[in-house]
Amino acid sequence: MRAYLSVFRMRLRMETHYRGAVLGGILCQIFFGLILVALYRTLYMGKPQERPFAHVAAYVWLQQAFFRMLLSSDADLMDKIRTGAIAYDLCRPLDLYGFYYARIMAQKLMGSLLRGIPMLVFACLLPAGWGLCAPASPQALLAALPALLLGLMCVCAMENITMAFTMRTLDPRGIQALMNLAMMILCGNVLPLTLFPDRWQRVLALLPYAQMLDAPIRLYTGEYGPERAGEVLLIQAVWTGALILLGASLWRRNRKRLLVQGG
Amino acid sequence: MDRTETPLISVRELSKRFILRKKREPGALFREKETVQALREVSFDIARGELVGYIGPNGAGKSTTVKILSGILTPDGGEVRACGKVPWKERKSYVRRIGVVFGQRMQLWWDVPVLDSYTLLKEIYRIPEKSYRERLGELTEALDLSGLLRTPLRQMSLGQRMRAELCGSLLHRPELLFLDEPTIGLDAVSKLALRDFLKWENQRYRTTVLLTTHDMEDIAALCPRVMVLGHGRKLYDGTLQTLLGRYDRLRTAEVRYDREDCVPVLPEGIRVERTGEGYRLCYRPETLPTGELLSLLQKAGPIRELTVQPQNIDRMIADMYREMDL
Repeated sequence: MRAYLSVFRMRLRMETHYRGAVLGGILCQIFFGLILVALYRTLYMGKPQERPFAHVAAYVWLQQAFFRMLLSSDADLMDKIRTGAIAYDLCRPLDLYGFYYARIMAQKLMGSLLRGIPMLVFACLLPAGWGLCAPASPQALLAALPALLLGLMCVCAMENITMAFTMRTLDPRGIQALMNLAMMILCGNVLPLTLFPDRWQRVLALLPYAQMLDAPIRLYTGEYGPERAGEVLLIQAVWTGALILLGASLWRRNRKRLLVQGG
Repeated sequence: MDRTETPLISVRELSKRFILRKKREPGALFREKETVQALREVSFDIARGELVGYIGPNGAGKSTTVKILSGILTPDGGEVRACGKVPWKERKSYVRRIGVVFGQRMQLWWDVPVLDSYTLLKEIYRIPEKSYRERLGELTEALDLSGLLRTPLRQMSLGQRMRAELCGSLLHRPELLFLDEPTIGLDAVSKLALRDFLKWENQRYRTTVLLTTHDMEDIAALCPRVMVLGHGRKLYDGTLQTLLGRYDRLRTAEVRYDREDCVPVLPEGIRVERTGEGYRLCYRPETLPTGELLSLLQKAGPIRELTVQPQNIDRMIADMYREMDL
């Protein structure tokens, strides 16, 4: 267990070194946040929707603040597979799935905290109707926090599946482009899932992608009331468990059919 | 333990093939598959404390052997027991006892000080604190790393990086060490330092070493025993001297005359090349004794300078590969 904690800590610390990337990320996400909020304001002016606009703005800002959590961004890890340096990790007395899971989680956690906290402060300071509103209730915030943690675990499980596929294709670009596209749309990053037609939403909300950021955000804004928190957390936990099982079995199968190319 | 102990590594009829998918031929419906037989029934034993060189041309199957012996790949046939275990079956408990260096790959983290990478390795191998400190102290001294522990890997030269990598592979005191081209790309000083270190480690802890390399100087300096692999088969297993003895019949002579216009006349079958100021020739002392050669050379004019040398070791290996049809 200590090895997994140790790689977690090391990756956490490493993430704090890239200050330029953090600053760039914040500026970029603020830019996108402002554009999206402006866009949806215009949409509401033309044709007001059922959902209060404050919820849409909160949705956008929370998505942007935790953007780093979604996309796979551990280039070192992908390089290891591409160059074959993964051979070293394969001859360690470790379970590779757990080792990489810990590493990915640390990177996503620190990466999104470093960007997310300043961004949320910024979003709170914006004038009403533009920025982030307070949570629906203290209970809503209390429910959203564990949901965010489960969401993080779910993303990490998904990324480990991408990694397992990369080990087969040896080049991450194809599978990553596909997974990232699905992720951006089905997570609600491009268009809040709350703005999709209601019948679509019933399906979308059950997909694993909705468990990552959509579920915690809806708990925050009160879209899902505190009485539904248990049910939401359960769906999240089921998906996270299923993705972890799938990923771990893919890794086990990879080990059997492994081929490390080159001398 | 006495001399008759069971070998530390015992490999029997080890086979491994890879199935590669070829590019689809134009017009073909499916991609054809191509089978590459990387290892064909290779057998050998290695005793504790041995330093064994493992050579062969590129693609001979050396790295495949190392990958099987380090538990990364599963073979298609044959048996392996190393440290009393089957590497790919009892992987986790086995890999604790071995160390691996892949000369072309990196295990340490690129952006963080090497000491942090070592701390992580300490946790991975669950090395007790005291043992870790002692070993790190010993290795940093032997590998001359003390000034570098706080340096990130990316700021190091290739030679420094290889020493740091080697230190990382030895922290958990492996009894068995696999080195896959550890001296690749190193300058002369770093190579010598690395060889000295490996000798020291082997003598002090009886660490068993299997070294694959293309650098024959590595083998000559380190390995009393050498195995040659070609096309997945073991072709030779014995001392380097015996191996080279078979190919060490050629001598190279370089001659320079007082005047530029002197041209030696030599019998058929002797390769003569013109160099800048004289001639270089290859001959076999069995067919043309050196004394006779000398008198033939002297007939052409007064000799200013003459050197006779055994053939270059790399040239010999190239001849050997050619003769073995590799």
